[in-house]
Amino acid sequence: MGLAFRIATELVAGVLVGALIGWQLDRWLSTAPVMLLIFFLLGAAAGILNVVRVAKKMQPGRNGPADGQ
Amino acid sequence: MPDPMHQFEIKRLVDINLFGLDASFTNSSLFMVIAVALISFLTIWGMRGRALVPTRMQSVAELSYEFVAGMVRDNVGSAGQKYFPFVFSLFMFILFANMLGMLPYSFTVTSHIIVTFALAAVVFIGVTLIGFAKHGLGFLKFFVPSGVPALLLPLLVVIEVISYLTRPISLSVRLFANMMAGHTMLKVFGAFVVGLGILGGWAPLAFMVAFTGLEILVAFLQAYVFAILTCIYLNDALHMHH
Repeated sequence: MGLAFRIATELVAGVLVGALIGWQLDRWLSTAPVMLLIFFLLGAAAGILNVVRVAKKMQPGRNGPADGQ
Repeated sequence: MPDPMHQFEIKRLVDINLFGLDASFTNSSLFMVIAVALISFLTIWGMRGRALVPTRMQSVAELSYEFVAGMVRDNVGSAGQKYFPFVFSLFMFILFANMLGMLPYSFTVTSHIIVTFALAAVVFIGVTLIGFAKHGLGFLKFFVPSGVPALLLPLLVVIEVISYLTRPISLSVRLFANMMAGHTMLKVFGAFVVGLGILGGWAPLAFMVAFTGLEILVAFLQAYVFAILTCIYLNDALHMHH
């Protein structure tokens, strides 16, 4: 359950951070809503990237110690 | 029905005003102090005998040490031993704060996002500084994925940077959301028991018993997840691979 919740938060955090960066850039550059839209999508992509990485780590046989890799 | 959010209210116990900043000693501060005092008691007083055949308390102290040491060894490798004290303090503090919150009438420190975010920010900034100290500007290569066409590279670097910036958010929101949701659920179902009375109150009461067990599991699990993610981030900074 902890791992399932971890995946969900990674996805949400990606979108959230992307949207926040876009919103702040819009305020600085007064380009609303262009940056928000772009960074919302980039944030979603980052979230999915994180989810894929977590899922890859969860696969058996791939979570050994890091020193040897 | 009592307000289920009332338990998260911050109350000032001692008013302290430092140069116009509100630094009052609140119930949140009180439970942080209790957590730190209990951890110190466990590790210092529990280990006072240093017996070959440990007492119960020494056994608990040694078990928690071994548990975190194993976690650091498995996830960061030998290079991580330097950072063991930090991970151990972090794990024990979150574990004790979560477990203290399970006591009736107590306050759950980790159910406030500012507390969990401060912990996550310390981890995030610390890990980033370690990365730069270890690799210099070469740490920036961490954000450049290998084997991608040059045309896509700018886009992927931006995505990598955003993905890196999500770490403190996901770390803090996960701990805070778990603790707050769990305690709100406990309160709501506790109110059902009282509300339904002696006839219908048994069903939510049975649920409460099971749910309290689950909450104790979550309290441990979230401390574990926080510590293990700190280890994984440390490993990323030290060895620079995803």
